[in-house]
Amino acid sequence: MMKKAFMAATAVLLTASCGGGGAGDGSVTLTYSLWDDAQQGAYQQCADAFQKANPGIRIKIDQHAWDEYWQNLTTRMVSGDAPDVITMQASYYPQFVKNGQLLDIQPMVQAEKVDLSQYWPGLAELWVKDGKRYGLPKDWDTIAIVYNVDLVKKAGVDLSDLTWNPRDGGSFEKALARLTVDTEGRRGDEPGFDKDNVAVRGIVPELNDGSQGQNGWGDLAVSNGFTFIDKNPFGTRYFYDDPRLAETVTWFKSLSDKGYATPYDKNSSLGPDAVLNSGKAALGITGSWMIKTYLDSTEQKFAFAPLPKGPQGRKSAFNGLADVIYSGTEHKDAAWKWVKFLGSAECQNIVADSAVVFPAITSATERALAAHEAAGRDVRLFVDQAKDPEGTFLLPVSDHGDEINQIVGTAMEEVWLGQKDATSALTAANRQVNALFAGE
Amino acid sequence: MSRNTRPSIGRVVAWACLIAAVVISLFPLYWMLRTAITPGRELAADNAGLLPDNPTLINFERVLGLVGREEARAAGGSGAELDFFLYLRNSVVYTGLITVVQTLLCAMGGYAFARLRFRGRDALFGLFVAALMVPPIFTLLPNFVLVKELGWLNTYQGLVAPSLLMTPFAVFFLRQFFLGIPREVEQAALIDGAGRWTIFWRVVLPMTKGPLLTLALTTAVWTWNDYLWPLLVAPGEETRVLTAALGIFLRQSPNTSPDWTGLMAGSALSVVPVLLLVVFFGRRLVDSIQFSGMKG
Amino acid sequence: MTAMTLAKSATRARARRRGHGDGRTALGFLAPVFLGFAVFYLYPAVRGAWYSLTDWNLLSEPRFVGLDNYATLVGDPLFWNSLKVTAYYVVLTVGMQILGGLLLAALLHRLTRSLVLRSLLLVPWLVPSVTTALLWMWLLDANLGFFNHLLTAAGLDNQGFLTSPDLALPSVATINAWSGTGYTALLLYAGMLLVPPQIYEAAAIDGTGEVRTFLSVTLPLIRPILAFALVVSLISSFQLFDTVAVTTKGGPVNATRVIYFYIYEQAFTHFKMGYASALALSLVLVLGALTFVQMRLLRASTSDLT
Repeated sequence: MMKKAFMAATAVLLTASCGGGGAGDGSVTLTYSLWDDAQQGAYQQCADAFQKANPGIRIKIDQHAWDEYWQNLTTRMVSGDAPDVITMQASYYPQFVKNGQLLDIQPMVQAEKVDLSQYWPGLAELWVKDGKRYGLPKDWDTIAIVYNVDLVKKAGVDLSDLTWNPRDGGSFEKALARLTVDTEGRRGDEPGFDKDNVAVRGIVPELNDGSQGQNGWGDLAVSNGFTFIDKNPFGTRYFYDDPRLAETVTWFKSLSDKGYATPYDKNSSLGPDAVLNSGKAALGITGSWMIKTYLDSTEQKFAFAPLPKGPQGRKSAFNGLADVIYSGTEHKDAAWKWVKFLGSAECQNIVADSAVVFPAITSATERALAAHEAAGRDVRLFVDQAKDPEGTFLLPVSDHGDEINQIVGTAMEEVWLGQKDATSALTAANRQVNALFAGE
Repeated sequence: MSRNTRPSIGRVVAWACLIAAVVISLFPLYWMLRTAITPGRELAADNAGLLPDNPTLINFERVLGLVGREEARAAGGSGAELDFFLYLRNSVVYTGLITVVQTLLCAMGGYAFARLRFRGRDALFGLFVAALMVPPIFTLLPNFVLVKELGWLNTYQGLVAPSLLMTPFAVFFLRQFFLGIPREVEQAALIDGAGRWTIFWRVVLPMTKGPLLTLALTTAVWTWNDYLWPLLVAPGEETRVLTAALGIFLRQSPNTSPDWTGLMAGSALSVVPVLLLVVFFGRRLVDSIQFSGMKG
Repeated sequence: MTAMTLAKSATRARARRRGHGDGRTALGFLAPVFLGFAVFYLYPAVRGAWYSLTDWNLLSEPRFVGLDNYATLVGDPLFWNSLKVTAYYVVLTVGMQILGGLLLAALLHRLTRSLVLRSLLLVPWLVPSVTTALLWMWLLDANLGFFNHLLTAAGLDNQGFLTSPDLALPSVATINAWSGTGYTALLLYAGMLLVPPQIYEAAAIDGTGEVRTFLSVTLPLIRPILAFALVVSLISSFQLFDTVAVTTKGGPVNATRVIYFYIYEQAFTHFKMGYASALALSLVLVLGALTFVQMRLLRASTSDLT
């Protein structure tokens, strides 16, 4: 009796578990992964247009936040179950190429004569390794200061042409001091300022920023004369032990010691945008992909200012994303069609009109700018920075991106937490990083 | 039994400690609920009072996918949702199958080790005991590879395979109880001409209801809470269990900030089955744990 | 040969013959369990040992490298760090659970038989660990978390419970103590129920205080169940993964990179299955050594009641 009941129960459970089989109508579903939920809407529009033109193909967008994106991706590759088309950052793709996880699209690009000159100069070439091409550019970004208009006005500081150096922080540090207000209403540059009881911080630095410091220390270090790597892309020797990087990092660390920034370990799990939105900080350093998040905020009024000029001038990271195809996909042709569409003017114009990022196609960039201006958003400085031949640098691209990220990220953490000084932490990290390449 | 009922200072303090322990046990769950009914956009400012200023159910709605993506984003989420009832079903299937099948098969195995004589018994049992000491991660890696090779990733069979038939612990645990059953009971049945199977089903199993239930409940709780294995082998939409779903929901947070109100709403939902269990089976549950305490 | 040994071997022979008789039945009883053991314990153990001798990224063919992985491991500061971190965690969380559990059990035992109270104390143990981790990550948030509201209300500085290297591991240990203490308390409470009430009456007549009675009567009498509770929490503590994976991901600066999480990272984010297997096998050896210590502990745990 009991046995029978048990078997019956098992059977019920098993049948319940076998529900939901394949589609079976010959249609193909592609999974497309991206990390920025703010961009999901624009790419959903692209997907809708694409599905209309290709009735047999459906696009399923799979969003994972940046912090989890890469771990999720590697785990799924190990399972043989990665998304068919993947939004990729240049510094991460070499490790996937090395493990044979990305599809070479050069043959298709050649056969279908994709016009590579329509993209911003330099973007398409980032995705070529040893004569093989792995992605088509989708967008680009540069970096600027975002600030709370009211708080800056109240402090009476001018952010339009700041200077910076690692010794005394230049007019940038003066502005940060002025913008910081303690709980008694004294500003950071006034006598009696209490750095332990601060109501409004001058800056929310993005310190948890991997091996590149795209949103802060990386840009300032380069403006101080620092270079990441001997050859970009695909260098094999990093220079994280450069004293010009160490001084920059030390300066960043000093901000929290002076009370202008929140100590590293006392930051909320909420991101810089949430802190700025709550009015508890005056400015941050951010990328052009965040434009809409800030300017459309209902809580605070934000505006952008160019990065400070360092000893070597004003330097912004210039980074481009691309769409790549997972080599294990079962739908290579459909995936290529989708990648081609994502890289086409048709999709990039949709993205431009929604004005979330600057598309990689030059003409679409102007269109995005126009869309921004029509909406009353003044963001020309991001484009000006990108056009300035001396104004940008490419983020380093090499093998072992993931491991380097962890090694340098940990070393930076040691500095922010005050466990080690910048020079010794970064020298040790650099030795570890270069050892990764020596083993080959 | 003469228990001291005089309200001495010691007793007051003792009661205070006990009540504090209950509060500590439950307060985090209250806080979870409090956060879950706070509007996401207001959380940065409204996170300290015992109740939110503007309570809302929007977080539950968007987690369950009852509102559109844009509305969900406006409420502080990324637009990700939990297909709650599907994942609940998956969790129930996963837990149910393993609990029932494993307990039963391990009872059979444990009985064989306790009562039957056959060549190599002690050596085999020794091997099982040795396996008890091995941390599961050592077999988890190759088992993942095995499930992958079988093409069982994102299937129910892949999910349940490694622990469906047995765990060394279950066999070991039940064998201890079978050893404790007086042999005379079985001898009598044997003399009556009953076979080993009949004895097992009709005599032995009914006598070990207690330990069986204890083991089954413990296995059920462990399986229900299991995270790493389901996340590795069955993260796919169709086979995703609740714990993995929560982990994945966390990953699908908006790019710049975790969606705390949505996460707490999802967490609150995941606790509901647990609370139902306590409400309906509180006595059973407590008894069965205490049971292992008495025999431990 | 003496008559006695002859007799003995005769019995043994008879036993063996009867054993043959059970053999077929035993096969029926054991087949499913044995199949499960062979396929999902033995076979993977052999494979795991083999992987540990290879360089394998899970995507192409494994390449035999002999003991290279072990050589790397010995010189890998992160491996030793992860063992240290794990040990520290185990000591903290098991300590908290056992002490907290003892206290609660004693209070329950001397005050009330309320089932409701016991069920409520058990609730945290039933909450899935992922949920627990998420929940506490929010409670412990450096700025907005409830505990920091308490601190600032008391005029103290807010703390980065999960973001400061000194606090992160104790915080993780506390989180899991929260979830495990009620369960431990119930186990120990059950043990205390077995102590004959007369002993307490005698103690009360002698005028012995509660604390002294607990230390000199209760504690020695529940030693076996205490040992059981200790082993249960030890074993589960070594397997810490969920909480770390959700809250700290091993940080800040490796402060919570426990061995399970480290192995997981090597295998599934760095594509190093060979190295991960070597780490796992080393953990087996380390725990094997520790089991000896445990055995001695268990041997010393016979109750004065029996």
